[in-house]
Amino acid sequence: MKITDACVYPYPAGDSSVSRLALEARAYGYDSIVAIDTPAAEISGVTVLSGIHLANATAKDVQDRARKAGGSGAVISVQVGDNAFNRAVVGTKAICILRGIHEADRYAFDHVTAKIAADNMTAIDLDLSVLIAGRGRLRQKAIHRFRDLVVLQHRFEFPFTISSSARSVLGLRTVREVAGLCSVIGLDVSDTAQALTGIDRIMRPENAAVKVIP
Amino acid sequence: MSTRPPTLREKRRYILARVEPAGLPVDTKDLYYALYEAVTSLWGDVVTAAMRPAVISAENGFVILRCRRGTEREFAIALSTVTTCHDCPIAIRVYAISGTIESLRERIKTLEVPALSGPSTPGRELFFNEKAVEIASGNGQKVDVIEKGFKNAHRLFLTREDLEEP
Repeated sequence: MKITDACVYPYPAGDSSVSRLALEARAYGYDSIVAIDTPAAEISGVTVLSGIHLANATAKDVQDRARKAGGSGAVISVQVGDNAFNRAVVGTKAICILRGIHEADRYAFDHVTAKIAADNMTAIDLDLSVLIAGRGRLRQKAIHRFRDLVVLQHRFEFPFTISSSARSVLGLRTVREVAGLCSVIGLDVSDTAQALTGIDRIMRPENAAVKVIP
Repeated sequence: MSTRPPTLREKRRYILARVEPAGLPVDTKDLYYALYEAVTSLWGDVVTAAMRPAVISAENGFVILRCRRGTEREFAIALSTVTTCHDCPIAIRVYAISGTIESLRERIKTLEVPALSGPSTPGRELFFNEKAVEIASGNGQKVDVIEKGFKNAHRLFLTREDLEEP
């Protein structure tokens, strides 16, 4: 299982080139990274997965764009919305990740959405940038949301992913630092290890209906 | 006032960490304020008081930090939330935790990277994405550059392959 940072923003969105991010990610213990708006590649022994982030779109737009990008092998993530939007999104086949839960209101992600996410193997992203750079009420709200998600995840077992949302190499955190930060939100070491391999599990599901054997 | 006997002294732990980006001059006072703010905002006053964080020294990009024994895990978590020091974006990477400063100083000697020459020589002008850049620091494949231009001191983090000769 590959340990993956589920979202980084290379140059020009950030200040670090994708090759530098890959180089640093390898040193920090990652096997792969999801780079937004960047073609897939293998750099310095690190698998760079192409990422597509959909934000400020209606459920219909998301479904249309997901259908178009479905066969590309890209990791498609969608910014969280209200409850109805989230239920529609996590039920869409090609959508891999629902991001930004900490920004949503408390009813945006409930037990029904959690069940749909578990059934469709849609991951919920834990964005650590808000724990790292956030202060005061913003971080308190994020910790509360993440703790609530952990409770739902233990009950419904939908996949988690962990992202640094790094726009710079300074925003990346080592796997050990990630484990420390995740302990703040109630994830133990084994849960964190499972969340770090979340991308690998959703991109290559173990119980797929058809398995290609080379 | 006489010093306390060793059994009554407070036990401490020392943390060796590296400040990134490389080559950035770090003032211990500014760093102390940055990490004190990070520890206080994450763990609160009570834990910070029990932790007693301190900056012992800062040299060659490495810093030695101090906390009370038993709080080093919380201190390390708080260090990962330090993002700026005196308005400069930084990151603190923990390398080792020890009971003595001496052993960490020995560790620094093994971690120090020799100065580089050739394409990563600081001050050399190259191009990235058709923009002139000047190398700020380099370490193996990693190269930090600064875009050349009026009022532009923004640092970019690249590799040697990303750069083009003029």
